[in-house]
Amino acid sequence: MNTAISISGLKALLPFLIMTAAAMVVMLGIAFRRDHRFTVLLTLAGLALGGGSLVFTPFAPDRYVTTLVLVDAFAGYYLALLFAAAFAVVCLSYSYLEIQGGHREEYYLLVLLAVLGAAVLAAATHFASFFLGIEILSVSLYGLTAYQRHRDQSVEAGVKYLILAAVSSAFILFGMALVYAEVGSMEFARIAIRAGAAGGALLGTGLVLIIVGLGFKLAVVPFHLWTPDVYEGAPAPVTAFIATVSKGAVFALVLRFFGNMDIRVGGALFLIFTIIAVASMFFGNLLALMQQNVKRVLAYSSISHIGYLLVTLLAAGPLRLNASAFYLAAYFVTTLGVFGVVTVLSTRDRDADKLDDYRGLAWRRPWLAGVFTAMLLSLAGIPLTAGFIAKFYLVAAGIGSALWLLVIVLIVNSAIGLFYYLRIIGAVYSMDGPPGPSMPISLSGSAALGGLTLALLWLGIYPGPFLALIGSLMQTAH
Amino acid sequence: MIPLSWYIMLSAALFTIGVVGVLSRRNIFIILMSIELMLNAANINLVAFSHYLQSLTGQIFTIFVITVAAAEAAVALAIIILLSRNRGSVYADEFNILKG
Repeated sequence: MNTAISISGLKALLPFLIMTAAAMVVMLGIAFRRDHRFTVLLTLAGLALGGGSLVFTPFAPDRYVTTLVLVDAFAGYYLALLFAAAFAVVCLSYSYLEIQGGHREEYYLLVLLAVLGAAVLAAATHFASFFLGIEILSVSLYGLTAYQRHRDQSVEAGVKYLILAAVSSAFILFGMALVYAEVGSMEFARIAIRAGAAGGALLGTGLVLIIVGLGFKLAVVPFHLWTPDVYEGAPAPVTAFIATVSKGAVFALVLRFFGNMDIRVGGALFLIFTIIAVASMFFGNLLALMQQNVKRVLAYSSISHIGYLLVTLLAAGPLRLNASAFYLAAYFVTTLGVFGVVTVLSTRDRDADKLDDYRGLAWRRPWLAGVFTAMLLSLAGIPLTAGFIAKFYLVAAGIGSALWLLVIVLIVNSAIGLFYYLRIIGAVYSMDGPPGPSMPISLSGSAALGGLTLALLWLGIYPGPFLALIGSLMQTAH
Repeated sequence: MIPLSWYIMLSAALFTIGVVGVLSRRNIFIILMSIELMLNAANINLVAFSHYLQSLTGQIFTIFVITVAAAEAAVALAIIILLSRNRGSVYADEFNILKG
């Protein structure tokens, strides 16, 4: 395959180049003028430019740039999703960090680098781009998780994330080496062909090690142990970032890497992914029932949501890519909305993560409580929200491939999940809340939450145009 | 010439030592060293297979891995210094503020 980069190849790489340049510009910007608002504006401009460049990027099903990345419509969709999510996170972070002291500007540099890593993952078709993408993303997230240096929780969460993410990277790397030994190539397409035929012991062991490593990054059972601690300790906007951008990008990679392989019903890969999906749904939901801390509840809820998403990986047929694309969009909007509310309610000293922080919220801040309720109902999958349509598509994709066990587990778990979301909503509308001082919500925070709520209602009530868009984009993928 | 299986055995042994180290040691610096051991076990594999397959991909990939490991170690040490300043300890079993 051609290894030189042509002009059209450079054009296809435009979103990545812009993100790299944005990180450099923000770094230089901080050196010349240390100003919070200025840095945020630079970051938002970079993200908007990166998103805007997607319009001009020549996406094509065979637009390989060297063998490392494939810039097709699949990558384009996930790039747009990642940039939009990062945009919302930066808006929320501004209001969150504005009330904190200390150096705030480097935070945005780390966010941009993490988005670059996530973007590379969404387009990776080679072990080298896979590994570099996942490491750029993870190393930036270590810094972001431990960003609040004065808070013990934040630093402890940073160390825990650091150790587990580094170990999982080592597992992925060792797995890559074994797969390379047997296939003799690091390109996804060649590995998929080889894995479809009778693979040997090295290839099988390698794939299992890669699944273990990716399982850590996606936080699926039994590799989920870090999730609640990191969600609780990390600053609220960073938690939102980990839950959306990081997991979404890794899931896009999983779809690309394992999607090409022939995951037959009854095969070893099918069995492994089914066990992981069922365990994630049950453990995530059942453990969430026992939590008192809102961030921990959301951590376990995100574990179960990735379990639901794995159904699309196992389903056959063209519908599965549409289902996962829509589910991730709905999950991004909802998760960002929920953590957005946690963010704007957080104070200088601590994040609003106790259930008591939300008691009687509806009488103090009716609008915010309305947004929070809508987001939680969408996570639970109640009709008229984005979460319902998304879950409907998952079930449709599962039934289309006759994955009855997974579909039944998914439906049972939606019912279990309803219970703990309703418990939080019950607290929001309880009458015995503290009167509490009414601190004004910053403009950027309310703008981000308003936008997310509109997106939620649009996806939930009138999803037709968006579904048509996904359908036309995913038709050309794979 | 040394047969390929010896390299695989060596790297598998190093990787296992690394995993056991991460799971059993208390001192966070030793845990980090164990992680480095795991990464380098993979590097040995990559170079050995690259030589065996007569393809350069594995060796070039190893250089990426070494670079990334250096960056990772830099960030990791910064966070651990922060932790030991805040807490006065580098023992993993004392990190227990966060629990459910």
